[in-house]
Amino acid sequence: MKDILRLIVVLTSLCIVSAIALAKIYDLTKGPIAHQKRLEVLRAIKTVLPPYDNEPDRDMVTLPIGKDKRGEEVQGVFYRGRKSDRLIGLAFKVTSPEGYGGDIEVMVGVLPNGTVYGVEVLSHLETPGLGAKIREAKFKDRFKNRNLYNTKWAVKKDAGDIDGITGATISSRAVTKAIKEGLGFYRDHKARIVGSGQ
Amino acid sequence: MTIVREFTKGFWRENPIFRLVLGICPTLAVTTAAINGIAMGLATTFVLVCSNVVISLLRNFIPSRVRIPSFIVVIASFVTIVDLVMAGFFFQLHKTLGLFIPLIVVNCIILGRAEAFASKNPLMDSLADGFGMGLGFTLSLLVLGSIREVLGNGTLFNVPVFGPGYFPFLVMVLPPGAFITLGFLLALMNRLAAQRPS
Amino acid sequence: MDDRQFILSSSPHIHSGESTPRIMYSVGVALVPAMFMGVYLFGFRAPWVMLLSVVAGMATEAGAQRMMGRKVTVSDGSAMVTGILLALNLPPTVPWWLVVVGSAIAIVIGKQIYGGLGYNPFNPALVARVILLISFPVQMTTWAKPIAALSRTVDVVTTATPLGAMKTHLLVKGTLEGFTMGELWNPFIGNIGGCIGETSVIALLIGAGFLLYRGYISWHIPITFIGTVFILSGIFWLINPNQHMNPVFHMLTGGLMLGAFYMATDMVTSPVTYRGMMVFGAGCGAITVIIRLFGGYPEGVSYSILLMNAATPLIDRYMRPKTFGWRAVSPR
Repeated sequence: MKDILRLIVVLTSLCIVSAIALAKIYDLTKGPIAHQKRLEVLRAIKTVLPPYDNEPDRDMVTLPIGKDKRGEEVQGVFYRGRKSDRLIGLAFKVTSPEGYGGDIEVMVGVLPNGTVYGVEVLSHLETPGLGAKIREAKFKDRFKNRNLYNTKWAVKKDAGDIDGITGATISSRAVTKAIKEGLGFYRDHKARIVGSGQ
Repeated sequence: MTIVREFTKGFWRENPIFRLVLGICPTLAVTTAAINGIAMGLATTFVLVCSNVVISLLRNFIPSRVRIPSFIVVIASFVTIVDLVMAGFFFQLHKTLGLFIPLIVVNCIILGRAEAFASKNPLMDSLADGFGMGLGFTLSLLVLGSIREVLGNGTLFNVPVFGPGYFPFLVMVLPPGAFITLGFLLALMNRLAAQRPS
Repeated sequence: MDDRQFILSSSPHIHSGESTPRIMYSVGVALVPAMFMGVYLFGFRAPWVMLLSVVAGMATEAGAQRMMGRKVTVSDGSAMVTGILLALNLPPTVPWWLVVVGSAIAIVIGKQIYGGLGYNPFNPALVARVILLISFPVQMTTWAKPIAALSRTVDVVTTATPLGAMKTHLLVKGTLEGFTMGELWNPFIGNIGGCIGETSVIALLIGAGFLLYRGYISWHIPITFIGTVFILSGIFWLINPNQHMNPVFHMLTGGLMLGAFYMATDMVTSPVTYRGMMVFGAGCGAITVIIRLFGGYPEGVSYSILLMNAATPLIDRYMRPKTFGWRAVSPR
């Protein structure tokens, strides 16, 4: 009996001490982690938008952009970049489920008229050295200055205008299609994305 | 004198990867680049040293019947600390290794040292054992990661080591490359050990 | 199924004269038509790839055996056969270094690390081919147009393999409508894009006939392999001809003939009993069809053989023949 009591006491106190320590550490790192996450988003926005002087992640609009595989609604966040209070570009995240290794997340920056200013690959699971080349500037730059009207949005192999990556057609195709769909959504909902929240 | 011995044994005589072949899961999974190897190694070293110290201090209080749950509580606490601190202050590294950090909990080396060494030896010896084993582990991961990065990506610490004409040997950064590299290194170590008069 | 008589007699026994070198060199002879067609179809690059592959393979074998302090057995011909098979499994456009790397991989990782000939669980040439394919996908999937390579133009005219063209067509158009396999004659003599030695069905069949006649391979693996591919692809074709090509196309294109007759029948890595061989062949066929129709790669023969190589010990275990005079004990 005494023996069992000892087991309980030792293990319980160990857990309590550990819980208190972890709570403290969590408290201490909560701020920096949130800060880092925000920096990460801002870093991506900054590479895809023209120079801005506001805080796009504090000036955003959230819209339902479709349904995922399980039929649940997916919210899209549109970050608005402004310079001297004038809207100069919008950044939004598009996700392609058609990557070779899984979802590919891309941040797309467009000018208010719907022309791509820059794209940035946020996350992907493509093959290193092959599909992973979608991260390289050489590929990302191929989307610059393109919009729905001046470009056939498909890789060259599928008779489009975008130069795919040699040996990684599936990855190139997935990124191209995702950006195209993002641009389409922007065109169709431009008023709500640009207009509200003034 | 024994402290020095306890410290150095992790580098060669009882090297966790090449002699004990423990903790192979993170070894194979994260060593796609040299820097990942170092980061994972140091994170593991931190957990190993801390848990060795705490377990060594508590070795006379913890009843043997609940020793395994107690060890796990201690180890899991330190792993959570590493996870949070890395997320807060080394965000990019955490993004690469994020998936594998929680797995340090089940790394055999850590529980193995707690059970086989720290729970039976005084503080200073356990400290030396933790440092030695951890650094030996780090060194092994660095070797594996360097070989795989150089062959599979043509770079070392992200610096190109070959001319532009080098075609990366992709399989080396993919999972089969981890097994092939580890196998050849084990063979080499066994050969060296066999030649050395013990 | 197996109506051969098994005659057992007491000693003295006469040596049949079979030996590793004799078998290996026979396989080499059987591959001559395919090598000849490779040269005829793909021009001056083909013989260099073959020569380089064989020389590099033999040099690696000698080096590895010396390093490990084993008896050097380069002259038994097994490294030569591995070299030839690897070369026949490479596109004619491959750079020279890729051939050398592949040959070394076949010998070291495919064979010697397991203890040498007879101990390797996987077909060495296929191990090398698959490692090369995932490491250098661009170089390993650049196909030359046959015959055109013979003309004096310096640039190689690239083309797609029929299976690759089919997959692309399906991805782009969503249906196979408008995709034709062309004249049957082309894959039959080998006038299609593909690896050096896999395109010419007739050359492969001639060599296979020789091996069957000499008894170095039995019909069980090739026939069940090709038959399964034919039947399974036929079923899918009947269900939806807009999504799946006809079984004749699947039978004549890709590496099926080369794989079924020369790679899957490798004595070391395939089952020993006839029943086991048929399971092995059917498994290869099923995996090939699944990869070709539903996988990311256009072709699946190499992967199917390697996967079934891995299953060989299991097949051998379950297909163990009953020992005469013993009753089967029902496993409990």
